[in-house]
Amino acid sequence: MKLVLARIDDRFIHGQVTVGWGQWLRPDLILLASDDIAEDPWQARVYASTAAPGTAVSVLSLGEAAATLRQVPGGDREPPRVILLTGSPADMHALMSLGVPLSRVNVGGMHFAAGKQQLLPSLYVDRDDLAVFRALLRQGVRLTAQTVPGAREVLLDDGLLASMEARL
Amino acid sequence: MIEGLVLTHGAIGAELVKVVAMILGPVAGLEAETNEGRSALQTADVVATWLAGRAPGAEGLIFIDEHGGSCASAARLGGAEAAGVPVLSGVNLAMLLAFATWREDLPRAELVQRIVDQGRKAVAVVGAGR
Repeated sequence: MKLVLARIDDRFIHGQVTVGWGQWLRPDLILLASDDIAEDPWQARVYASTAAPGTAVSVLSLGEAAATLRQVPGGDREPPRVILLTGSPADMHALMSLGVPLSRVNVGGMHFAAGKQQLLPSLYVDRDDLAVFRALLRQGVRLTAQTVPGAREVLLDDGLLASMEARL
Repeated sequence: MIEGLVLTHGAIGAELVKVVAMILGPVAGLEAETNEGRSALQTADVVATWLAGRAPGAEGLIFIDEHGGSCASAARLGGAEAAGVPVLSGVNLAMLLAFATWREDLPRAELVQRIVDQGRKAVAVVGAGR
């Protein structure tokens, strides 16, 4: 598999992913990794039904997703292009801990919830989220916030995270 | 009476409902909600709240703007199917005018078809250009 985008987005499969990134990256597969959704076949079907025609969707638990993404492509055929989605930084970090090699992670949307503060227009975080972002940075991940390809890309580096932490 | 929820990205739904009221006057039981600033599950909660808050005995219809998007997911995750409430995508002004005009005269299944027909008719090339 060729991972063309690893994205944290609590809306999972929606227009920014299917149209915005999808038209740009032409994925063969959208892989939604979530233990909660994977264990609820109805929820999984709902999310899968929102993908564009021609794009396959797999909804897998974190363990299954990691096993799938660790597969080394073989043969002469082009490996399938994959967009990986998780609903939280913690789930993305869990995939790394399960052996999924990630060098870049796109933070697309983390919406307001109790206890979270706004870091960027589509990005609300709490201390736990910041701790996971820091862990990803320590592991060499380039972490950026960007809703769609044409939007401004913001580098989530130590400095930005520290300034946010001071406000929490 | 059949009540309607217009669930869209940004302020599309609110503006459409506002324009319907400008044309026909206030339409009781027609509300707009947005997914703006909300996760999929938070938007689904909005739908669930609307479904639970309908007047006793009232049937419902949900309009969304895009078939493959978070509003579509939220409508279904929020319980539209379980409540037997149809979800119509591609909402436009003609669809809402049809809803407001015929919702008291037609049974819901026929109303849905009428709304879809009117919505499709409204998408047309007006003038061929040069």
